[in-house]
Amino acid sequence: MMLNFFDQFMSPVLLGIPLIALALLLPWILFPNPAARWINNRLITLQGWSISQATHQLFTPLNQGGHKWATLLISLMIFLISLNLLGLLPYTFTPTTQLSLNMAFAVPLWLATVIVGLRNQPTIALGHLLPEGTPLPLIPVLIIIETISLFIRPLALGVRLTANLTAGHLLIQLIATAVFVLLPLMPTVAILTASVLFLLTLLEVAVAMIQAYVFILLLSLYLQENV
Amino acid sequence: MLSRLVLVSANAAKNSSPLGAGLVQLSRLHTSPNSQAPVPPLPEKGGKTRHGIFPEELFQLLYPKTGVTGPYMLGAGLLTYFLSKEIYIINHETISAACMATVIIYSVKRFGPDVAAFADKLNEEKLQKAEEVKALAVASLAQAIEDEKKEQWGVEGQHLLFDAKRNNVAMLLETNWRERVHTVHNEVKKRLDYQIALQSLHRRMEQEHMVSWVEKNVVSSITPQQEKTSIAKCITDLKSLAKIQQAKATV
Repeated sequence: MMLNFFDQFMSPVLLGIPLIALALLLPWILFPNPAARWINNRLITLQGWSISQATHQLFTPLNQGGHKWATLLISLMIFLISLNLLGLLPYTFTPTTQLSLNMAFAVPLWLATVIVGLRNQPTIALGHLLPEGTPLPLIPVLIIIETISLFIRPLALGVRLTANLTAGHLLIQLIATAVFVLLPLMPTVAILTASVLFLLTLLEVAVAMIQAYVFILLLSLYLQENV
Repeated sequence: MLSRLVLVSANAAKNSSPLGAGLVQLSRLHTSPNSQAPVPPLPEKGGKTRHGIFPEELFQLLYPKTGVTGPYMLGAGLLTYFLSKEIYIINHETISAACMATVIIYSVKRFGPDVAAFADKLNEEKLQKAEEVKALAVASLAQAIEDEKKEQWGVEGQHLLFDAKRNNVAMLLETNWRERVHTVHNEVKKRLDYQIALQSLHRRMEQEHMVSWVEKNVVSSITPQQEKTSIAKCITDLKSLAKIQQAKATV
């Protein structure tokens, strides 16, 4: 089968069955449940340690009300990290390259932070629209700008994740194609390009984890303002 | 017949007492077919693998029929089959897969032992904390035993203390008794002295009385004639004495 560069971004369907459901569910089996034991094996120990470190990092700046969001946000982060990293393997489909999925994560969560803020402390939530210490003539303009920035947030969250992953995958494809084509023609150039590909792969691994973390971090920041 | 009695009474005890039902359940621990206790221990290491991904059991499975090189031939054959029949086509994904494989293998080889040691350290720390508590408890109990032994040794020497105290008390009692005897002695002496004084007073008074009576009688018995003669004698004596004295003085 000859792959074109668009196949990796099409939601896979086999005989009319959408396989994206499998792509979304199967990463679950990679994370074992902690057994009913006091001392576990290395995988569960490391998993528990890293989750507790991440939770501590993200939720120390938040107050008690924000800690209620910990389960949701940390499980979302684990989900995104696993989806991103599994997508780097060959012939896999990365669900997070689909804008629909990322917007489906970003918009409801962002909206939830805004509504929580407006319900519980409307004055403070609206007060975030005006940064401290702005000179008097600038106030109307700044409020408009801040409102626009507020409504851009979900778009930014979703599109950031989509764009980073899509661009990364596309770059890997293109440079791998370059290597593949150059290999019979000019092997040395192919080797150089392969080294570029190696560095790019490293970058993509980093980006995969960082983008997921940034998604959650920004959501936690929005939460911090509003809770 | 007695066994029937025992059975009937046991049954009655089971049904009546509040602990009876529980005691029956106690004897049936871990015997039902669904029981999972006690939980078997976790294996120390994961399953053995050859080259990181192929389980050792595959090699053991193929060994009797195809020997040591069997699984390798299987792998090479499969690869050749997929490539030659164009079931798997080499394309850009192969290159990117090779790149990804390099990254994964390098990171596992380089960071694997460190990560494993870190995970082991986390578990060790957990165990160590519990061990510390246990060691502390054991140490405090050992210290308690030492202190108790010291106390017992101390108690052995206590009889000396008791002897000293006993002697002390005996001495006090002795002193007290002696004081009292002394007091009694003094009192008795005072009484006796009183009696003696009384008697001597009595005798003296008798004596004085007798002397004064005798004197009175004597004085009263002196007649005026006798008194004149005695006075005249005294005068003549005095004159003679005065003469003698005068003679002595002139001589």
